[in-house]
Order: sequence, then structure tokens, then C-alpha cells
Amino acid sequence: MKITATIVGIVAGFLAAFVQAFMHVIPPPAYGICIACHMRDLVNWIVAHIYPIYGLSKGKLIIPGGPVSYYIPVLTVIGVLIGASFAARINNEFRWKTMRVAWQKPWVEFFWGIGFMISALLMGGCPIRTALKSAYLDITAIIGFFMIFIGVIIACELIKKIS
Amino acid sequence: MDYLPAIATLCLGFIFGYLGQRARMCFIGGMRDWWLVKDTYLLKGLFAFFISALIGFSIFHFLAPAIKTFPWFINGGNLFAAKWSKIGVSATPSFMLPVPGDPITWSYKIGAHLILAIIGGLGVGFISTFAGGCPFRQHVMAAEGSRSAILYIFGLIVGAILFHKIIAPFVKALLL
Repeated sequence: MKITATIVGIVAGFLAAFVQAFMHVIPPPAYGICIACHMRDLVNWIVAHIYPIYGLSKGKLIIPGGPVSYYIPVLTVIGVLIGASFAARINNEFRWKTMRVAWQKPWVEFFWGIGFMISALLMGGCPIRTALKSAYLDITAIIGFFMIFIGVIIACELIKKIS
Repeated sequence: MDYLPAIATLCLGFIFGYLGQRARMCFIGGMRDWWLVKDTYLLKGLFAFFISALIGFSIFHFLAPAIKTFPWFINGGNLFAAKWSKIGVSATPSFMLPVPGDPITWSYKIGAHLILAIIGGLGVGFISTFAGGCPFRQHVMAAEGSRSAILYIFGLIVGAILFHKIIAPFVKALLL
């Protein structure tokens, strides 16, 4: 069976709701799948355990991020990396490559990563969690979703102009 | 019990990563392809995700006790709580919501949340289009061996630390 994006969307959306309902991924609601937030939780957990001064506040160890990942951080990012590399290996799609476009060269992409993380955490999630929060009927997330769409349109017009 | 979220999200990430690599799933890419070349393959995935999550939340709202926060409405604000509790819907019990150390997702000021959503949404859309995909797609591309995507992930790590040390106190002083 050919896996299309529609099937992936259905499976992922239902599993995100399932994980929250039965696997206790709850204290921030709608936290089933998010790349930016879970990466943030993982990084903050590791850094706060290596350098405790990072997460120290009024003498208590407080890890910035979701309360789910206080004892053990959520590991979606690791899972995605393992799963995707597994799929790439068994289908012989793995090869080293570098993007040739000027704004997708590795060192430029590093600064895109920093900017993306900051703006995503300002909004409260990456596009995946924004869709999930919109499904959770959060008004700010729905507005953020439209703003993402407007940002995509602006960037598309800019790319058309400069390329 | 403390290990359950980590194991569950690890398995979920494995499934999502595997399927996403096969279908070249991307959330920003759906909007981008639709706007540039009117290709709706990825956009259908985005809407399927939204509708499936909505149905899943609605079903599990009646099955599981952990999801009683379902109609959220405003990020952290208890705007509709009193009104909706009369008809049996518990909206945002406040003990579930505070995120320690994350001041931005925990505030009663609704205007601040709207401003942050507008600024952050514009930034996310713009940067993701230029970087060539949403962070999920970047992780999949990193697993396929793209050097650009690997550097993007390092950028995410540095950005998270920068955000919590510099940006978050600044925004908190400015808005909240």
C-alpha cells in the first residue's frame, strides 16, 4: 500500500489524541506531537541536569518547559530521527547531500533554526502543535495558524521575486 | 508511571517518523505547494491531521479523565470557564495549565497571547518557507542525510537555550 500524506495525517492526529488521553502526556494540553516544544523540553532537561544553575530558581530545580518532562523528558524528537533513518535505510534513500540554494546552505540554515525556535516558542508551538491546538479549539492557535499562512504567502512572493 | 509519557512519545515519534519519511509529510510544505503550484497533496495531509485530531479529542473527551480540558478557547485564560461549567463542560481548570519556568504560556492577559500569536505565526511561516520545510520535515531530511537539516537542528537547540535565557524574560517584562 502506498502511504500518502492523508493517511499519515489521520494516523498522527488520532495517535496524538490517544497519547494524551491514555498515556498521561497531559499537563500542557494538546501536547501529543510537537517538534519544537519537545526539542525544547529535551534540551532544557539535559542542560539543567548538566549545569543545575540553568534551571535553578529560588533554590529549586525548575526545568523550563512542559511539566510532563520533569522526571523524564518526552522523546518524540529521538523517535522521529530513529524512525525516519530506519525508513530511509531500508528503502535505500539515505545519501549525504547539501542544498545548493543560497538560503538553504548549512550555515544559513543554522540561523533559520535559531529564528524558528524563538518565534515558535513565542507562539507556543511549531506548526504541528498549532494544528493540534486548533483542533483543541484554542482561539490564539487558530489566529496563529492564519498568521503562519500569511507568513508563508509573504515568503513565497519574496522567493518568486528573488529567484 | 513517570516513564510512561517518554516511552509513549518515543513510540509515537518512531511511527510518525517512519510514515512521514515514506509520504514526505510536511505541514508548511502543504501551504507552500498550494500557493506556488496549486498542488494539494500535502495540504490534504494537514487537513486530515486537523480533522482526525478534532475527532479524536471529541471521542476521548467522553472516555478518558485526562482530557477534560478539551474546549480550551484561550491559552491560559479562564474566559469561558464559568459559562461553560453550567452546561457540564469544564473548560481550562487552572491547575492543569501553569507551566513552571515557561512564563509565556501562562498568563491571564489575552491581548498578550494574541500579539504573541501574530508575531510568532508570521515568523514561523516566513522562516519555515525559507528553510525548506517545517521542523518535522527538517528532522526527516536530517535522517536522510541532508547537512543543511542537521545544522538546522543545531540551530533549534541553540534557539531553545537563547529563548529561555534572553527572550522569555524580555517578553515577560514587556508584555505580561
